[in-house]
Amino acid sequence: MKKLELIKIVITVLLCSLLVVPIILSNHSWPTHARNYLLANAQSDTGATNTVSAIYLGYRAMDTLGETLVLLVSVTGTMAILVKLGKEQTDEETTSFSLTPEKRPTNRLRTHLLETVASKLGPIVLLFGFYVMLYGHISPGGGFQGGVIVASAIVFLALGTEVKSKLTSTFVLSRIESLSFLLLILASISGVFFESGFFGNPIKSASSLSANFIILLNIIIGLKVGTSIAVMCIAMMGGSHDH
Amino acid sequence: MDTLSNILFAPVYLPLLGAALILVCKSFFKTTIRRLAEYVGMLIGLIVPVILTLSLRSELGAGRALEAVAGSWAQEIGIIYRFDGLSLLMILLTAAVTIPAWIYSRKVGPAHSSFTALLLVQNAAIAAISMTADLFNLFVCLEVMGVVAYVLIAGSQKGSAVYASFSYLMLSSTAMVFFLLGTFGLYRLTGSLSYEAIAQSLAAGENQQFALICLILLVVPILLRVAVLPLSLWLVDAHSKAPHAVSALLSGVLLKIPLFALVRVFSLVPDSALFALPISYAGAITALVGVLMALAQSDAKKLLAYHSISQIGYVVTAWGLALQAGVHTQAGALLLSVSFFHAFSHALFKALLFLAVGTATDAGANRNVYTLRGASRSLKREGERLPITLLCYLVGALSIMAIPPFNGYFSKNLLTYAIKGGVHYPMLTMAGVGTVASFLKLSRIFLPAKEKEETLAARLRPRFPLTLHAGLLILALLCILTGLFAPETYAFIAGLLSAQPVQSYDAHFFFTSDTLAKTLSTALAGIALFLFILTKPGAWIFHQLGRYKARFSDLFFGFALALALLLLVARVL
Repeated sequence: MKKLELIKIVITVLLCSLLVVPIILSNHSWPTHARNYLLANAQSDTGATNTVSAIYLGYRAMDTLGETLVLLVSVTGTMAILVKLGKEQTDEETTSFSLTPEKRPTNRLRTHLLETVASKLGPIVLLFGFYVMLYGHISPGGGFQGGVIVASAIVFLALGTEVKSKLTSTFVLSRIESLSFLLLILASISGVFFESGFFGNPIKSASSLSANFIILLNIIIGLKVGTSIAVMCIAMMGGSHDH
Repeated sequence: MDTLSNILFAPVYLPLLGAALILVCKSFFKTTIRRLAEYVGMLIGLIVPVILTLSLRSELGAGRALEAVAGSWAQEIGIIYRFDGLSLLMILLTAAVTIPAWIYSRKVGPAHSSFTALLLVQNAAIAAISMTADLFNLFVCLEVMGVVAYVLIAGSQKGSAVYASFSYLMLSSTAMVFFLLGTFGLYRLTGSLSYEAIAQSLAAGENQQFALICLILLVVPILLRVAVLPLSLWLVDAHSKAPHAVSALLSGVLLKIPLFALVRVFSLVPDSALFALPISYAGAITALVGVLMALAQSDAKKLLAYHSISQIGYVVTAWGLALQAGVHTQAGALLLSVSFFHAFSHALFKALLFLAVGTATDAGANRNVYTLRGASRSLKREGERLPITLLCYLVGALSIMAIPPFNGYFSKNLLTYAIKGGVHYPMLTMAGVGTVASFLKLSRIFLPAKEKEETLAARLRPRFPLTLHAGLLILALLCILTGLFAPETYAFIAGLLSAQPVQSYDAHFFFTSDTLAKTLSTALAGIALFLFILTKPGAWIFHQLGRYKARFSDLFFGFALALALLLLVARVL
């Protein structure tokens, strides 16, 4: 039985590679049309120095919206499963990692070393996350990357600080998450009312900052990504028990 | 941007707005406002877009379409959306199933605000799939649709549902990687992602073999969502373990949308028609095998899930033949319209069946068709005064068995009429016989139980959820209406899908002595097959069939097999 299974897997891989290999090994010349177009127009069209941002928040912002939706839905699904697990499990495991049984939402993973390092690092990482988020139109980075860094900062804070702050409460975080999702949709629709269409820039002529819409989207997406991943991580550490 | 383009994008952004509203109200307010937000969100996200898209009806037909670029960028770099007759039909089909399924779920679950929000996100993704004319955007929207499906399947919180969702997730994500590779290949070849530019660039006729390989990598992952054999092994668990309302959506909507989106992907490569005939054969085989497996099942919802496979086989058969003839020719347009008509009626009656059978098995607390009896009595004990569930089940069952005057009779007959003369015809006829037999088998759950149970009056009577009946009744009514007005329904579909004026069929066409005799003989053969199952050798054969259970590796093996088969077709023909 096991042998049969193995043969099946080998055949599967071989058959798939029959199609994949020609694509990967193809030596067609790379298309240049889009590259030339972007070189010529990206900065004047969107105002962003970073052409990657010009693509994913400008020309193909619709795809970015789709990816945000994928994240939103998968976090919702994960939370549903985690909450169910939290209801089923008793707290027997929660002390297994900690030095002394402390009554904190995240004490399962606590050690003194971790606590000291994480609490010092947290604010700095948070700041860095916002930097990556805000400067996405100029330098490498943007909403998604900055958001993930913000999320890791929130996880650091949740691991490190003694006091339970608002920033690490899933309740507050999920509020920010849902608000920023609403803002993202509103920002994408707003073009409809300013004659630039769905996902068009509604504030094109309104300000001297040429990349304004991209910065706005970067901030919103960063908040959305950061909070939703942070909520998920805190729930995984057992922190969603408190409400 | 003009108003038309803004309306064109409305089916994408309005559901998202509704979903965002629901999620905000969920995290900020208490129960009453949450509930209110769900209704407002559904109104904004489902009803309004349908009305708006219907208002565009006058702009469509005769091959016309509306085009817009998201964000009003230049055509060559932006994401192009193209709204044509097929898009309108797909949005209507989605709404026709989603609304009743949502109403049904209000009391019996999954009834929480994230469920409503997820439904809306899914509707936005489906609208985007139906309109997009950009390969990478199609990839993203398929991903969104898929992710919502995984989450909804896992929503019933049973371990087996989570496992079913997980296998579907693994298989489907793997397939989507191949889709991405195909997109990459075509981009490398043509330097463009929009359908029109790719088709123009490939029309010159160079690099045909490479383009065909890329097309295989695009087609197989989409057909995986459609669940054509050998890609349908994931379906049974996913559809039967999900909550009832989700099952209805999965087999009513999510099987068909990718198939009809594939029509446009097919037009990218000039030689693509050579895949069409093999796919239609696969469809006919799927119809037959699906129904045989359905006959062998003991679990009521699994039986229905296998029927989804079988019925999608019908749709794919006509679909493949349509693409072989070319969707812009008269014959092709006829076949595509017929294929969509059957997809539409299947969406309605299969959703109805999943909901009705789900209700009955829940009331009886038993899903085994061999042991569950007296389901209507159990329903009565639950507080149902009129046997509405039974009646709705009958509407659905008679529809799928192709008994007049329900919609299945018209769409199935039209479909078999359109493909007459080929090898497909006898296969689909045999599948029809099997359908009758397996629904006779399933209907036994409503037979009265043998042993007298405790008297009804002794039990207290809770109120039976009104919304549950409302959901069932809307679907049943739609089944009856699309049956009674079948010629008009067909004319509406064909008018949107075909560039030339179409031949219309009046009621007499459907009731010639030929078709009636065929229906009668199919029904009789079905009864004979049913009686054969009851005999000892019949029971033994189907018991052996029913023991088959797909292992995790089988899912991937089927996928690789499909890839290889199409590669073989591309090489040989």
